Amino acid sequence: MTIVSTNQLIVRRADIRILAAGDLEIAAGECVGLCGGNGSGKTTLLRVLAGLEPVSPGMVTVNCPAGDITLVHQHPWLFHGGVLSNIEYGLAARRVDRVTRRRIARKWLERLGGSQLAERQVEGLSGGERRRVALARALAIEPTLLLLDEPLAEIDDTGIQLIREVVEGLDNTTILITSPVDFPAGFVERTIQLTTPPTISAAG
Amino acid sequence: MDFLVEGLREAVRLIANGDHQIIDATLRTLSISLSAVVLAVLIGLPIATGLARRRFVGQRLLLVLFRAALGVPTVFLGLLCYGMLARRGPLGPLDLLYTPTAIVIGETLLALPIVVALTHGALATLDPRIPETARTLGAGPIRRLLTYLSEARTGLILAILTAFTRCSTELGIAMMVGGNIKDRTRTLSTATALETGKGEFAVGLAMGGLLLLLATGMTLLVAVLGKEDRRDA
Repeated sequence: MTIVSTNQLIVRRADIRILAAGDLEIAAGECVGLCGGNGSGKTTLLRVLAGLEPVSPGMVTVNCPAGDITLVHQHPWLFHGGVLSNIEYGLAARRVDRVTRRRIARKWLERLGGSQLAERQVEGLSGGERRRVALARALAIEPTLLLLDEPLAEIDDTGIQLIREVVEGLDNTTILITSPVDFPAGFVERTIQLTTPPTISAAG
Repeated sequence: MDFLVEGLREAVRLIANGDHQIIDATLRTLSISLSAVVLAVLIGLPIATGLARRRFVGQRLLLVLFRAALGVPTVFLGLLCYGMLARRGPLGPLDLLYTPTAIVIGETLLALPIVVALTHGALATLDPRIPETARTLGAGPIRRLLTYLSEARTGLILAILTAFTRCSTELGIAMMVGGNIKDRTRTLSTATALETGKGEFAVGLAMGGLLLLLATGMTLLVAVLGKEDRRDA
């Protein structure tokens, strides 16, 4: 089953093309890497799929409910408060009860190697720690389509290994990951190369 | 110099003895200004949120009007409320002139632009990742609003404190629609002005001193209670 397909996808901002992805097809359950240099539109593509960037009708088809799609920003924002309450945010929005929420939050934090952060407040976490918490927060809602914007930056090798294991365990989730550099071998099933759109064509 | 020292000594004695006039005016000032601030927050927060997070026709104009309203003098608000509430005014039949309710209405009008303009400022400058994160995690409108207010808490607390200090210390409205009636509408600010005018300098000093304490004390209390600001600062 195809979960994401694009048709002549072009995104402009202030008349400048910031993404020219053309026609893409992504099957359900795939783990796809998006590569490309700065300005090639990797982040924009993720934002389009997350519904955060308006596009012309027909350019993008996503075959899952909007509530099952989540995006982790390149520099994730953690809400004021504790690490666990952050991870529970999406579960609370889905009215999962308190005890279950806490159990799920601890499970994901542990899987990402962050058990020791459970009782911490988000202020004072390091960059890598914040990423793990944000990733746990996204995984906790068990998304159908998970969009990760450069999740591997600032993460140490052990962390990358843990994230790889977690990602490999998500059979029912389609994952799109961006990276400005090549992925570690075997990290993604295939990569899509985006290229910076030519700036000239005003007619296109 | 004796005059000042004598007045100060008498003022301290009045406060220490818990003079009922003074206690009464303090409690009244507190209840009137807190009521006004609560009302202004209840009305103002939805307006501020709408101005910050939605796009509609006349939005900029409305925002400018609220900002301009920050400068409306309290005597003008007193005048406006007097005109509305006086027996021959449109709201005359309600018979509210020279009641604490009249002061609450006037001070709510004073606090509303403060709450709207300052909260809007705090919400409009929120990091765009906050609404995006809340949305992509599936938060509904109410949870999103609570998230925004929590993330803008420093600005929100500042808005509420500013509104409270403005209301508790203002004189124009309390004087014009309250009338400084003993045991009914006398507040610390009207008492300070009028007792001093009547030659009761010590009473004026006691009332004025308590007013100063009340207005600055609330800010200090919030600073002590608000733990998160230590990290933000």
